Amino acid sequence: MQRPGWLSVWSGVAVLTLSAFVVSRADDSSNSNETDLLPVEHAECTFFSGEPERFMDQTVRQRLRAGRGNFRLSALTADVTRTLGYVPPGSRTYSFDQTQQTGSIDSYIFGALKTNNITPAPKTTDWEFIRRVTLDLTGRIPTPERVVQFINDPNPTKRANLINELMASPQWVDKWTMFYGDLFQNTQVKNSTGLDRFTQGRNAFYQWIKDSLSNNKPYNQMAMELIATQSDNSFTDGRINYIVGGVVTGGPNQDIMDQMTANTFDTFLGITHVNCLLCHNGRGHLDQLSLWGSQTTRYQAWQLASYLSHTQARTASVTNGTATTTVWTLLDNTTGFKTDYTLNTKTGNRPARTAPTGCKSGQPCFYVPPQYIFNGSTPEAGETYRAALARSITGDFQFARAAVNYLWAYFFGQGLVDPPDTFDPMRLDPNNPPPAPWTLQPSNPQLLNALAQHFINSGYDVKATMTEIVNSDAYQLSSRYPGQWDPSWQPYFARKYVRRLWAEEIHDAITQSSGMPVSYTVSGFTDQGFPNPTYAMQLPDVAVNTNNGNANTVLNNFLRGNRDDQPRKQDGSILQALTLMNNQFVEQRLAATGTAAAPLIKNNLAMANPDLVNGLYLTILSRLPSSDEMTKATTALGGANRTQAVQDLVWSLYNKVDFIFNY
Amino acid sequence: MSEQEKINCVLQKYPWTHKSFFNRPHWTRRQFFQLTGASVTGAFLAERYAKAAVVTNAGAKTLNTAKNVIFILLAGAPSHTDTFDLKVVPNVTPTTFAPTPVNGITWPAGLMPKLGNQLSDFAIVRSMHAHALVHSLAQTWAQIGRNPAAVLGNVAPNIGSIVAIEKEGERTPNQVFPTFLALNSGGGVGGGYLPASYAPFRVQPNSGGIGNTTNPDGQTRFLSRWNMMHSLDDNLRLNSPNGKPMEDYNDFYAAAQGMMYNPVVNQAFGFTTTDSTRYGNTGFGNACLVASQVLKAQQGTRFIQITSNDGWDMHSNIYAANQLPAKGKLLDDGLSALLGDLKTNGLLDSTLVVMVGEFGRTTGALTAAGGRDHWLQQFAFFSGGGVKGGRVVGSTNADGSDTADFGWSQGRYVYAEDLEATIYSAMGIDWTSVRHDDPIGRGFEYVPQTGPFQFAPVNELFV
Repeated sequence: MQRPGWLSVWSGVAVLTLSAFVVSRADDSSNSNETDLLPVEHAECTFFSGEPERFMDQTVRQRLRAGRGNFRLSALTADVTRTLGYVPPGSRTYSFDQTQQTGSIDSYIFGALKTNNITPAPKTTDWEFIRRVTLDLTGRIPTPERVVQFINDPNPTKRANLINELMASPQWVDKWTMFYGDLFQNTQVKNSTGLDRFTQGRNAFYQWIKDSLSNNKPYNQMAMELIATQSDNSFTDGRINYIVGGVVTGGPNQDIMDQMTANTFDTFLGITHVNCLLCHNGRGHLDQLSLWGSQTTRYQAWQLASYLSHTQARTASVTNGTATTTVWTLLDNTTGFKTDYTLNTKTGNRPARTAPTGCKSGQPCFYVPPQYIFNGSTPEAGETYRAALARSITGDFQFARAAVNYLWAYFFGQGLVDPPDTFDPMRLDPNNPPPAPWTLQPSNPQLLNALAQHFINSGYDVKATMTEIVNSDAYQLSSRYPGQWDPSWQPYFARKYVRRLWAEEIHDAITQSSGMPVSYTVSGFTDQGFPNPTYAMQLPDVAVNTNNGNANTVLNNFLRGNRDDQPRKQDGSILQALTLMNNQFVEQRLAATGTAAAPLIKNNLAMANPDLVNGLYLTILSRLPSSDEMTKATTALGGANRTQAVQDLVWSLYNKVDFIFNY
Repeated sequence: MSEQEKINCVLQKYPWTHKSFFNRPHWTRRQFFQLTGASVTGAFLAERYAKAAVVTNAGAKTLNTAKNVIFILLAGAPSHTDTFDLKVVPNVTPTTFAPTPVNGITWPAGLMPKLGNQLSDFAIVRSMHAHALVHSLAQTWAQIGRNPAAVLGNVAPNIGSIVAIEKEGERTPNQVFPTFLALNSGGGVGGGYLPASYAPFRVQPNSGGIGNTTNPDGQTRFLSRWNMMHSLDDNLRLNSPNGKPMEDYNDFYAAAQGMMYNPVVNQAFGFTTTDSTRYGNTGFGNACLVASQVLKAQQGTRFIQITSNDGWDMHSNIYAANQLPAKGKLLDDGLSALLGDLKTNGLLDSTLVVMVGEFGRTTGALTAAGGRDHWLQQFAFFSGGGVKGGRVVGSTNADGSDTADFGWSQGRYVYAEDLEATIYSAMGIDWTSVRHDDPIGRGFEYVPQTGPFQFAPVNELFV
């Protein structure tokens, strides 16, 4: 849709808010210090030029930047791995090959390491690798049998073979259904907005994510379906629950359009600052954060939100036989939803949307037509606005960048742009760097672009990108660093950073290693025909509880978040320690006799001490004990009550930091 | 000059009438730049697990009259005109409510007799308005003091988490209780983007104390396990060459162990039948009891949230015996005993008690279902921590449907954000502070500064 030229006059009206701001500021500038801090005048009207605004004392900017680089990850890694320097027997030694193929992940990572004179950590051992990659790809710890088999496998391609095996496993689907469920915020109730998708809607969305991953549906197709699908029933078409997730109660429809827009640009382009811009111009707000944001107006954000202006999300009753249920419908161009984003609100969750003085309802200036502001594209004839938005987004190179960066952030503990949804579109192109004092945003811009291009070339194949990442030497570096580690090296990925296991991973590692599996009923899920989850990673949502109170305690205390206002976290807490030390969830898995005995203990109790200790370490920690650990453990087992000592040893292993972390 | 730039040049000649957003005071930005270097608080020194945060503020003068906060959320939203802003509706208001004038306040002496005797200990704000009429949204709003649908709303910490991070530095090494305790608040707002050490420590009060603070196999076995674990894992946990983070994970273990088999913990978190009865023998009463005991123990807890999920959302048959009469008694028993014990223990003067629902309810005649529906006009309750008792701020019109007199400095409704500013000010926390450690780097304002008006503490409660 092309706007008439004269209408464009109003396309930047929001800019004037800014000039009003500058004027009032000037009136108020009694303090002479402000001269250095205020924005420069715009005599030549260069507001949209590439020249950066001088909004603040540059030293302040530097300091804020410095404050943000916290190097926490690398410090954490050093702590975890300091004593893992011991290499279990049986590891093959790899010769470190730095002649990486041009264009590969490693060529960029090791190129940057060489440029900056940083020696990378050695390649990880087979022992560390199998635990790391199994947890990262499937959310499970490897079985002891698979560990031993892998260690003894003489095949030089065994790591790649293992990766392919894990990628093809159903556990991979479970893990990534959880991952993308987090990213798409698939939860029943969002307290922050009052939205209720109902359990059936949540379940349908869960099933759609799971099916898409099982079929390895191209990611651009997933995105198009999530953005553009129309349906009159959110229970039978799970996809529409993504856009429905933007429903905000208690405000005008523009609040909903804004929230849907904010969600979409955060999820698929990694540009969370669109949310800020939907309330106010970037200038004066995003000047320290985003070069693009600082130059973008609220009006432009409205042009994005206008893509959602013809979309109506509402609940409706559906009668099936005698039963009547309430579902969400998501339809376009329905009655009342045929006009573009309208500037007529004074209430709601965002500042008033007001048309320019003298502009009346019905006149074009009263409405904001859609435009994809990154390339000027507009909806084509016969195309719904949302289909046009899906076309523009999935055709945007940034779409691929954001997708691979979310993956990179997961596998490496830190995004190439980090946090991964704070992309600044004007600071990404290594061939067109931003003007000083801005710098390119990604820690390795060439790598980010190459990875995004590979993703596109693969047909937006999520599995292919993951395979490329975990096969890289960069991913397979040890988290141990033999020399003196400099925290400022963190952005260069010269070693692997550790992560605390997800709540579900802790739960599943305990149930799997103890040999005491679970089968949960979940209200609103299993009672609606879905199979009982036998691992926590199979739960449809992070905000559901099982019929096992102890499992719920574990899951919640390990901070799985709620896909709304509580993000998933890697933090520690007192409750985590209390839970692992004393909760029945662990305790009942220490039972050595009787029908409730844990197979791990019961089946190994008769073994000689060294075999027993080896077996427990292998099953719980996926490694053999060091000689020091073996000595301490066998000494303890030689005491008066061997069974109790075995229980205490198992308890200790579940509370060890190298059980709680992936390293 | 591009087409866009030409347009913008033209545009700058024309005025833009919508000003409300930029009517906010200018000091926020100006002083931000001036003070970034100068007024960085010591908060980052106290942060054990987070990155060092730059915290700026405008140097507001705080009241600093309170040491602790008890924040009570009456989830579901109680009817204001049947309780703390009583409006007698002929042939509607039950006679058993026994409206009685006490110090110029019409008090439902039949509904809440015990609190009626404590009117000189608490104050009521009657000019308060909610922003929204959706339970989940408005409840979240009350706990984070901002619009949950705003940009940082979905990662905003609970008010108690901000208090916890601000007061972390005042803890002494022997204190074993978490700074932020949440009772009966399982579904309440957590620590948002802040590190988990500032998240609410959630407890469902139980006469036996806190769950998981004893080992099922007994203390002796626990100690042997503890020692074995340390012997196998101390090389990972202690004396980390790179300092804090891994030692911090061990710190959580040490703190957890400090709470185990600790008589101080059991005394504060457990309770006797006698005491429970004195507080009404209800879940809400037990939470009030534990709150009182925890503060008395002086083990580092500074902010306690109590959520009353007792069914205040009375859309139908509001005056049935199991509805408002029962809930009024529950509230009267628990809250009056809490105020009484705080006073007896000499803690009321230093403990700010704030009680609020997420909104009010419709006024006048009942609905067809015999209940009251959601309504913006509401009340807030304040006691202790420097609050002057017996005071009423603001007043409503004849039927209580709207505010007649705002009764405070800002000359407008009191909002959740103003309650938040009041809590921070009473706790000596500069409510104009901005933390520059939020995930999108925008700056997290303790009290939102970019709203339609400037929010402020209700100082009229204190002077």
